[in-house]
Amino acid sequence: MPRGLTIRRPERVGVADPPTGSRVLDVDQLTVRYGANHAVKGLGLELAQGTTLALLGSNGAGKTSLMRAVTGTLGFHGGTVECGRIELFGREITAADPAVISQAGVALVPEGRRVFKEMTVEENLLSGALSLPHGVSRREVLAETYDHFPVLAERRRQAAVLLSGGEQQIMAIGRAMMSRPRLLLVDEPSLGLAPVMIDRIAEVLAGIRERGTTILLSEQNPSIAMDLADRVVVLRVGSTVLDAAPAEIAGVEQLRDLYLGVEEVEAAEAAPASGDRPEPTPRRPRAGRDEAAIALSVQGVGVKFAGLTALDDVSFEVSEGSVFAVIGPNGAGKSTLFNVISGFYRATSGQVRHGEHVLTSLRPHEISRLGLARTFQNLELSEENTVLENILLGCHLTSRSGVLATALRLPSARREHRELERRAREAAEVVGLVPYLERNCGSLSYGLRKRVEIARGLVGEPRVLLLDEPVAGMTADEIAEMQEVIARAHDELGLTILLIEHDIEFTLRLADEVAVLDFGRMIARGTPDEIRRDPVVHAAYLGSQAASTAAKAQPLDEGIAR
Amino acid sequence: MTSFLGYLVNGLSVGLTYGLVVLGFVVIYRGTRVINFAQGSLLVLGAYLTVRLQGSVGFIGAVLVAVVLTAAFCVVLNRLFLRPLRKAPQDIPAILMIGVDIVLVADLTRRIGSDVLTMNDPWGSHNVDLGGVLIAQSRLVALVVSIVVIAAFLAANKYTSIGLSSRAAAEDRETAALMGARLGRVSDFAWICGGGLAVIAGVFLVLYPSPGLVSDTNTVAILAFPAAIIGGLDSVWGALVGGLLVGLVQSFGSGYQSQIDFLGAGAADILPWILMVVVLLIKPTGLFGKQPLTRI
Repeated sequence: MPRGLTIRRPERVGVADPPTGSRVLDVDQLTVRYGANHAVKGLGLELAQGTTLALLGSNGAGKTSLMRAVTGTLGFHGGTVECGRIELFGREITAADPAVISQAGVALVPEGRRVFKEMTVEENLLSGALSLPHGVSRREVLAETYDHFPVLAERRRQAAVLLSGGEQQIMAIGRAMMSRPRLLLVDEPSLGLAPVMIDRIAEVLAGIRERGTTILLSEQNPSIAMDLADRVVVLRVGSTVLDAAPAEIAGVEQLRDLYLGVEEVEAAEAAPASGDRPEPTPRRPRAGRDEAAIALSVQGVGVKFAGLTALDDVSFEVSEGSVFAVIGPNGAGKSTLFNVISGFYRATSGQVRHGEHVLTSLRPHEISRLGLARTFQNLELSEENTVLENILLGCHLTSRSGVLATALRLPSARREHRELERRAREAAEVVGLVPYLERNCGSLSYGLRKRVEIARGLVGEPRVLLLDEPVAGMTADEIAEMQEVIARAHDELGLTILLIEHDIEFTLRLADEVAVLDFGRMIARGTPDEIRRDPVVHAAYLGSQAASTAAKAQPLDEGIAR
Repeated sequence: MTSFLGYLVNGLSVGLTYGLVVLGFVVIYRGTRVINFAQGSLLVLGAYLTVRLQGSVGFIGAVLVAVVLTAAFCVVLNRLFLRPLRKAPQDIPAILMIGVDIVLVADLTRRIGSDVLTMNDPWGSHNVDLGGVLIAQSRLVALVVSIVVIAAFLAANKYTSIGLSSRAAAEDRETAALMGARLGRVSDFAWICGGGLAVIAGVFLVLYPSPGLVSDTNTVAILAFPAAIIGGLDSVWGALVGGLLVGLVQSFGSGYQSQIDFLGAGAADILPWILMVVVLLIKPTGLFGKQPLTRI
């Protein structure tokens, strides 16, 4: 923002709002990047007074980045606005200070709620009023908020951390409303909440809309968004793919296609020779293996955290040499399951077996010695070390030389080091990192760093590779490259791969078999084709209302298979 | 028994004074994420300014002016050097503050030289008889003033909007900024509080029964270090509890020196450090420190 730009605080009290239809927010050609990674690409968006706009799209679509750009908080995440403008009531706020934007009348209900846990409910609400002009009575605004959200009044003296997830979400909305915003941004309000709570949040938001506040809502759950919004914008990898009124959207199928990218998969399958997309390589268990061999067997696994059931009686088997994917919406229990298999969490009930070993009674390093390697969702790389050094970290378990031999550089230790380095280079070759071996990890793009993680998993020569959201937050190009990398690792090394992932399109292209989790339960299991056509899966991803509307509108086998 | 009471009151008084030093450190850390290695030299700066100014504006006036000047010095430091570094990794401002500490100590040592500068305070070397125990009047004043200052700080933190902004920012800077907290002002406020608390602590640490301000008074502030670690670096209450514990351990240790002589002469001096090591072994984040949580 140009220095010295001042934004006149809109008179919010006692002055009539501008007439419905006037422009509140105007986003023009916005491009946002984190390091080398573009999260939003040339996005345009207009929002009229008193309307509600819903942003749809899966993880990594750019919804949160757009919200950060509007609220001026990209800098907290190492992001910048590369080009484009954001105007609020006709005044430019691109890259302005978040406090200034907040005073100008923008409030955000952040993803994951971000309540101040150590403060009481009332103090949390009062923090929302920090940007109110001096003349406005905090008491009055507080009383108003308690009127709208009686549940908060009852618990005003309690520490916010004691509230349930749903109550925290209501408090986060109440906190944002304390500044009497003229534009309310709501980022993923239904994330990780139980269905009954989601309905409650939807009611709360509908109430705010009725009172005339302009809302920009980001949601993965289209049924909420379609109910609330006057306009729906679907984003994919940083660009708009649809901008329409809910009534204009031809049923949920159109949304589902855009949103999940099913159309593209079908197109790709119909014309596999087209060449500008990576061909979906058919993944088959490798020949010469016993087809019936089981690499991993998950038997009735349940996990409870302080009374909250994260996983409930999940069972499946992963055949040796196959690619098995676990998918599901946010909060479905995918990461929990992964952490149980790799020994980071303890299962409350059930067990996971690998051959004769019971993994659920072993510690992470013991599991890793059995030949199960995992990657992490948040990159766990040493940024100051080179790619080669980071990959070498993956083989310390198999290193036989003692500390003394290594420190004295005895011939045996040097021989072993050469051998390990050779293996690290091989692993780098499989994932296509050879040109980057001497570069520092910190200087690499996100997509490349993810590959370093995979190479580090491969260098220990595992039999089973566990991939935790390998393409989360990647651009379309990076996703396509990652798909090739994983396919190559699978084919060349004959690995069994278990992966969890949000991106359905990617997963269905890659996997031999898929299990779908929702609220901790396995709701479906089958081949990618079966999953693509399963109404239960649609319900989990699109919301039950949407799926039932879809079922009523068109018989599933016709409507979806086309 | 009477000597026990004396050690207790002395320990509480010195402990609360350490508490003020640590509180300043913690407030700066919470408000700015800067580890202020110069807290000890700020304390000496405040005491030195007080000594120099007391001739012209009187003792109380000198303390007040020293608080204002030191706070102003901190704000300039913050605006000029630390705010521009706010996106740098945490160790860079910490190293900068080590540099500031070296510069301040070198200059103040040069100015003080081999003198012992005494405060011209109204309490002098008077003692109060508390049921047979003689306690320095200045120690009682330190006790009362510390309690008042801490109460005022806690009230400001709870009931003013800059206090609310500071607490919000200490928990989650991004969300606090979203709510309209001005992070620049929050950091200025933290430096003002930190600087002011250092001056008050510095003045009491050189009052009777200490001989006065000497060139190595800042080493006294080194004891604030175990106090901060014991309490936990980011907790206001931890700062106070840590300061009190160190003060009490030191006071009882030197009081009952003869009983612990088997540990060697001067064992009392290392008791706070032993306590720190024990706390670190049991609870590495300090008694009140937050356990960092990461999701895997």
